[in-house]
Amino acid sequence: MSVKEFEGRNEEEAINKAIESLGLDRDEIDVEIVETRKAPFLFGGGRVRIRVHLEEDRQPGEDEAGDRQPMDNLRHQESRPTRQRDNRRPRGDRQPREGRGPRPQPAPEPVREPLPAEGEFENSMVEYLQGLVERMGIPGRVGIGFREDRKLGLNIDTPDSGILIGKKGQTLEALQVIANIAASRMKEGAERIIVDTQNYRSRHEQSLVRMARQTAQQVRRTRQSRLLEAMNPFERRLVHTALAEEGDIETASEGDGLYKRIRVIYKGPGK
Amino acid sequence: MEKELVEYIAKSLVDDPGGVAVNVIEGEKSTILELKVAEADIGKVIGKHGRIAKAVRTILSAASSKSGKRVVLEILD
Repeated sequence: MSVKEFEGRNEEEAINKAIESLGLDRDEIDVEIVETRKAPFLFGGGRVRIRVHLEEDRQPGEDEAGDRQPMDNLRHQESRPTRQRDNRRPRGDRQPREGRGPRPQPAPEPVREPLPAEGEFENSMVEYLQGLVERMGIPGRVGIGFREDRKLGLNIDTPDSGILIGKKGQTLEALQVIANIAASRMKEGAERIIVDTQNYRSRHEQSLVRMARQTAQQVRRTRQSRLLEAMNPFERRLVHTALAEEGDIETASEGDGLYKRIRVIYKGPGK
Repeated sequence: MEKELVEYIAKSLVDDPGGVAVNVIEGEKSTILELKVAEADIGKVIGKHGRIAKAVRTILSAASSKSGKRVVLEILD
């Protein structure tokens, strides 16, 4: 993993610079705000410095022939604390973050050991997905990630998560589609299967919420509505929920089908 | 390798795993995999709006991304 820094007049500009110079999608980078200097006047002069964390395993996996990390890296990756920078911003705290000194380090998320599979269904599901991943030619270990009300999380621990995730998570989605069909054929009324690897889903959710809040800031500043990229219903719900906390901002879905786009609108204070 | 992958997935989707067969046609730059399943099972490997076929193709292209050779899945009916 490598780290690069970028600067801009605001968060968005800095992020855009990063995306441009690295040639990656917004989805594929992990942004940390290092420093925010507020403009001395109302406009201009402010500086935002961001730090971009590049994770080898999140680069576009498609063209990486032969660029496989040794299995030894697995342990190391696993014990890397998940950054949860979204939580640092208490709601309503939209004041500039100047003069706060060094950012407090987020508490490292405890390493989650896979839970042992219990019962026939869980064992067959783990075995099924393991067999699938192996036939894709990808080294990895499938385990139970979590059990929740009507949901079963299957986690693939692998040094090749970039390939398993795919562009915008589409390979992971495809694996999940197939795993769910297999599950419903194994057991009637089976739990919903959630397939994840190296915490991609939680990292992706955090980055969506972060992006939504940044857009809200921008809409508030410019008073101009903005249309976000197309998202699936689950992702849209995350964005709607995150922005429901912002009293002066409104969100509305536009478009047809499963993938709709959200418009972020300024509605003003009060009401 | 891709042949085994397609067989594995297809057999898990259909009612008649015995009816699953994959024929490989090796080209210079791409490989074509012809998937044949029992007639009653065709819908099960295609899915509504081709959702399942699309998922299988996505998994297949991820698996073949390392070799750099394009793999095309054709579902015979």
